[in-house]
Amino acid sequence: MLAKRIQPMAFQARRLYVELMFQVMGRALQAVSEVDETVQQEAIALPEGFLFEMMVMPNGSNLIVEHTGNGRFHYHGSTAPRPVDLSIQFKHIAHAFMVLSFQEKTSVAFANDRMLVDGDISYAIRMTRVLNRLEAFILPKLIAKRAVKEYPANLHLPEKLISAARIYLKVATNFVETVRA
Amino acid sequence: MTNKYYEFFCPVKVIAGKAALEHIPYELTGMAAKRPMIVTDKGVRAAGLLDPVISACEESGLEIVSIYDDVPPDSSTGVVRDIAGIYRAEKCDSIIAVGGGSAIDTAKAVNILVSEGGDDIAAYSGAGVLKHPLKPFFVVPTTAGTGSEVTAVAVIADTEKHVKLPFTSSFLLPNAAIIDPRMTLTLPPHITAATGMDAMTHAIEAFTCMAKNPLSDAYATAAIKKISTSLLSVMENPKDADGRLELAQASTMAGIAFSNSMVGLVHALGHATGAICQLPHGLCMSLYLPYVLEYNIESIREPLGELLLYLDGPDVYAATPAARRAEASISTIRRMRDALYKHCQLPRTLKETGKVVEAQLDQIAELALDDGAIMFNPKEVTREDAREVLRRAWA
Repeated sequence: MLAKRIQPMAFQARRLYVELMFQVMGRALQAVSEVDETVQQEAIALPEGFLFEMMVMPNGSNLIVEHTGNGRFHYHGSTAPRPVDLSIQFKHIAHAFMVLSFQEKTSVAFANDRMLVDGDISYAIRMTRVLNRLEAFILPKLIAKRAVKEYPANLHLPEKLISAARIYLKVATNFVETVRA
Repeated sequence: MTNKYYEFFCPVKVIAGKAALEHIPYELTGMAAKRPMIVTDKGVRAAGLLDPVISACEESGLEIVSIYDDVPPDSSTGVVRDIAGIYRAEKCDSIIAVGGGSAIDTAKAVNILVSEGGDDIAAYSGAGVLKHPLKPFFVVPTTAGTGSEVTAVAVIADTEKHVKLPFTSSFLLPNAAIIDPRMTLTLPPHITAATGMDAMTHAIEAFTCMAKNPLSDAYATAAIKKISTSLLSVMENPKDADGRLELAQASTMAGIAFSNSMVGLVHALGHATGAICQLPHGLCMSLYLPYVLEYNIESIREPLGELLLYLDGPDVYAATPAARRAEASISTIRRMRDALYKHCQLPRTLKETGKVVEAQLDQIAELALDDGAIMFNPKEVTREDAREVLRRAWA
């Protein structure tokens, strides 16, 4: 009986968590593209104006970022200014939650058919590398190891801490600016 | 609670063995199809491989309404549009693809257009775009390697935009795959070797990459056993119909395995090498397989060691200490490649192909990193890792 009452609240909490994580990730993608040269090198191969979306099917939470050129991303929130070029779609919010709460690695989620790619696969692979790089920076190593296939051996603590601090600062600033606007 | 999860799907009816082609009329009429079109290429026709298909149908009073025999090695949107036009003009109601990967992929794409309507195949590109079953579609493979008869994918080149269009849908799967030993009996030695190693790579990557699952494992190991047993004996005796059938079945089984568990770095490097150096796919698979297995070895030690049983038989497996079985599996594959090189000069290194220059290795590495298959490789592949594997495969 109690479980039945709690279940809707748990579902609501899960939905809010996924929504919040998408907001953080979108802003963090923008931030990491301003901070990290490796991410810039990955992103620079994307066409200028390239719109990337991550979403929960069928019409759930999403994040949209645009490659504005020179390897920089701009976070658009949840509304795309035009049709997106690449969409990575979780089949269900439960799958998005597993990935975003680091219970399932992104690569494992792909292997387990939890997600679909609508668009150019090579760009999806590139964006996954960017997401992995971002997670390696902003998550504690123990958690990051659960999120990415292999934690980068050449990412040492000082670089990680400095980059993470800069990314979090930029994310926080962006949140504040959004609230003010 | 377990974290494991997998999906497995293969609704293709496999019709395999002696006189399998003669089942085509019955299977077609069972789907109310009376006016089939054959899609094939000039090589298949010149080899006389259409004759048994046509006579099998005619003997049962089923007329082949149209034959398109001009599918190029890399099919394009224009070819697909032309074939769909002929299909409509001739009022066909079903398609029989007879050939290798290109003819089969082209027929899949034609089936989309003639079933869904329109002339622009690019409109159906991507995953999950198709929502309805397509026209009756049968596949008769004439090589034993690609496994395209059981994969839900087709790739067609858009020659105007210079891109390759992928199509992914379970509706692309044929209703039946007809595996008849007559179709591969006249395959030249180097194609037998390369396609056999293609199927071997499909099975080994299916068994060792990230999306492996119990059902794909069963198909993969059975395919490896058949190829290990039959490939070299067929190379010795190309007219061995039983051996040919074993290889053809193995190819289909490996196709079922990898289409449900995906492939890894061997394919990523192979796709990139094929695109840059125009090397045949099967040759690339054979070439890269041991080098990639060596690179992945610490991530796949257990499954790769298990494969020794299917690669080299129970006696060798039992005599090899568990800790050495992964290395022994790679050695067996290397011995097989050496034997194939002896038979038909199937290259074992990039240098032996004579078509790759060392300066292209970086370009191959770069392209391989963006290949979809790399996602399912058990190890995270960096630019430097890919370069290192290529350097080892060079000579």
